[in-house]
Amino acid sequence: MRVGLYDKLVRAGATRRDILKGAASMAAIAAASGAGLGALTRPAAAASELRSKILQIPGVGKGQPTDADFQKVGELCLEATKANVKEGEFAGVELTFMGLNNQNLHNVLFRGFLKPWETYTGAKISWIDLAQADYNARLQQSIATGTVDFDIIEMGAPFEGDVCGKGLTSEMPDWVKKQIDFDDLVNYLKPPVGTWDGKQYRVTIDGDAHNFNYRTDVFADADLAKQWKDGGATSEWGVPKTWQEVQAVTKFLKGKKFKGQDVYGYLDAPKPWGGFGFYFLGSRASAYAKHPDDKAWLFDADTMKPRVNNPAWVRAIQDVIDALPSEPADQINADPNTTAFQQFLAGTGSMIPWWGDVGSNVKTNDSSVIGDVTGFSILPGSDDVYNSKTGKWEKLASGPNYAPNCAYLGWGVYVMARVDSDEKKKKAAWSAAAHLGGKDLSIWTAMYPSGFQPYRNSHFDIPEWVAAGYDEAFITSYLKSEGDSYNHPNAAIEPRIPGIFQYYSAAEDILANTFAGKMKAQEGADAIAAAWEKLTDQIGRDKQVKLYKASLGM
Amino acid sequence: MGWALMALVTLGLLATIVLQILYKTEVDTIGFETWRPVVYAYVLWGVAIGIGQVLTRGEDGQRALFLLPALLFTIAMVIFPTLFGFYIALTDWNLSSFSGRRFNGLDNFWQMLADPYYRNALINMVLYVLAVLVEYVVAFGLALLLNAQIRARKFFRVVFLMPLMLSPVAVSWMIGKSLMEYRFGPAATLARHLGWEDPAFFSNPITARISIMLLDAWTFIPFMMIMLLAGLQAMSREVLEAARVDGATAWQTFWQVTFPLMLPVSVTAVILRIIFKLKLADIIITVTSGGPGGATDSVSSFIYREYRDRSNVGYGTMLAMAYLVIIVVFVTWLLKFASRFVRNVN
Repeated sequence: MRVGLYDKLVRAGATRRDILKGAASMAAIAAASGAGLGALTRPAAAASELRSKILQIPGVGKGQPTDADFQKVGELCLEATKANVKEGEFAGVELTFMGLNNQNLHNVLFRGFLKPWETYTGAKISWIDLAQADYNARLQQSIATGTVDFDIIEMGAPFEGDVCGKGLTSEMPDWVKKQIDFDDLVNYLKPPVGTWDGKQYRVTIDGDAHNFNYRTDVFADADLAKQWKDGGATSEWGVPKTWQEVQAVTKFLKGKKFKGQDVYGYLDAPKPWGGFGFYFLGSRASAYAKHPDDKAWLFDADTMKPRVNNPAWVRAIQDVIDALPSEPADQINADPNTTAFQQFLAGTGSMIPWWGDVGSNVKTNDSSVIGDVTGFSILPGSDDVYNSKTGKWEKLASGPNYAPNCAYLGWGVYVMARVDSDEKKKKAAWSAAAHLGGKDLSIWTAMYPSGFQPYRNSHFDIPEWVAAGYDEAFITSYLKSEGDSYNHPNAAIEPRIPGIFQYYSAAEDILANTFAGKMKAQEGADAIAAAWEKLTDQIGRDKQVKLYKASLGM
Repeated sequence: MGWALMALVTLGLLATIVLQILYKTEVDTIGFETWRPVVYAYVLWGVAIGIGQVLTRGEDGQRALFLLPALLFTIAMVIFPTLFGFYIALTDWNLSSFSGRRFNGLDNFWQMLADPYYRNALINMVLYVLAVLVEYVVAFGLALLLNAQIRARKFFRVVFLMPLMLSPVAVSWMIGKSLMEYRFGPAATLARHLGWEDPAFFSNPITARISIMLLDAWTFIPFMMIMLLAGLQAMSREVLEAARVDGATAWQTFWQVTFPLMLPVSVTAVILRIIFKLKLADIIITVTSGGPGGATDSVSSFIYREYRDRSNVGYGTMLAMAYLVIIVVFVTWLLKFASRFVRNVN
């Protein structure tokens, strides 16, 4: 509903409750405002009117949104809050919110979204901003030293083991579930994700999977196609569908020029990134290592014995080693942030895996030069897949094996248990979380640079994106890559076990040495496996086995 | 009266500590949720000891009052944490572990001896420290220049000091990640013009190490330079004039007069610089994360990853404590060696 319209109705003497109550009050309002009734009797239309209105702020292709835009969107999306909270209800409540400030997104947006919420409810929020690479450490320290100094946290599902598992979060009240329309979430983000021991904790604000981003112009170029054929290739020049093809194309493009510039193939991200860089090896490995008959792919589910040194992972590591000489000269010093935001968006490289941010940034980020020439698909597959149970490589009758890497499972907003003792504060914290996880607000974060991707079934309505200004072919390709990853029957799921980022971080250090040529792929993989075994023992093997199985739904 | 008071509060403090330790180790069930009451007990004890001093020792006690707060503060903030750090170093403490902190004796120490990453970082530190000698030569040269009768001397003195005023993190971003950026960085573009085809400053182990050394040197050479400049200005003119009267060339004057006279200042500058160098971490963390393949890793940046990214508090503390011991031994040796060196030369 439009704010102006709402205000008009309220001024006419109707409370929000009255508005929703029924025919009697409807009639009263109708008398006061003929225009209002039309909107009220068509709630779906009103909702879509609101959505199309916020989606014009500032308008797709009209530059990057600013704080004023965030506030406008937050203001327009306050309806759901107003239904559950009276004006000024939280006066005097002070909340602390901890989250990220990557690429000036996340918390930077939350501030704007919550400004009108603060004005309306009377609560006040102070902010703790963290860089991605500092996030894990800050969180772990707070947990271990018992110094949780925040009431609301923006957190990824992988940390649920560390946080919810230790009883530090507040259980979601039913009214919040209703307010955020919980059933609208895509299936893979529904429980067990967001829950621990059967209790619901998380307001999902993001969906995460690595998709495959490529340059449509490079793979449609006649000149490159000719050179490809002349080089003796038997297949047609086009977007690689398997990792084997990715490797071939990357080696082929080395030294080639396109539009007068060096063109590169795949971009690896070998530099450690606080543990998050490991996902990028995972994306190369999932098609090799995730067998459709086996839910596990990182560890043996019964023993937590690492699989990272099995032939599938070693092949992925070897792929990186083989591809690096064909990538830009300083690639060894590139972390994932560099590959996406400094290289790919700026026109270097023609293929990268990333979270959906690349898709939501190519058209709206000011530094992007590839808005019209980017295509998307699920991660490449592999001609053969390793079966950990038989110890053999298999070719599937159905063709190449695909296994999208559902890395990180998206960000969520969690309320800490320390607010539970104060009912008013608790309601305020949950109301703020629910505002950020609201259905209408979410379509805006999915369409504009926010750090968040589509995560609701309602986000996959292509006409809505087209109406907002997206190119139909582009957005269809993007949403299909996201949706197909989320819903893939052989998706590789992130294990939500305590200390998961320690595993990743230990691996990153060893991988950095392996990629720099200090170790062979197998040696590096064995070293990672040894480090992981040690970690599992240190953290507690029996519990880890139990939690790993639970996280895979076994 | 005073003695009784001091004995009483001391007993009280000890009792609180013992009680709390027993409670936390789950030997008994009486105790406090947090350690805060122990801190209060310590403060109370400090105050009472102060009063006790005055009561028992009169004027001497009043004098002791001037020292006591600083002493107690140092014990609480420096000595106790260091000792506690040594204890942490002997535990298996992973922040994610379900069982919490566990005493594991010298396990961390043995693990450290076999840790190739730590060894690699230590070797890198040797190289980084050796680079100080080169920095010293450059700094001395600059100091001589700025000490000479040149135009706009004051202006240049300020300009040359500027890098020291910048935060190393800012230097990392402005220079390491912007100027030296491979694709659009001006330094890389210039290098391309000069004929370096792939000006990747941080991709090859040797260039990466040199680049980090240069970044760090650029920040800290002014520090040595300013010390040396102060030394040069304090030097008596008469000695130099005497040398000139005796017909010494500029080269002879430098080697026979200036350099030996400057040795004490030089040694101080170099040692202070080495101490700064041993803490090198920020530039490495920001620019290379220790890469490629550990080529630029310093001990501090490695500990930072071990401790911070992997929440491995026990082992990380062992690494830090071992490094502390190495530094103390090394610097002590260095000071002894330096003073003997200065004595022999002069």
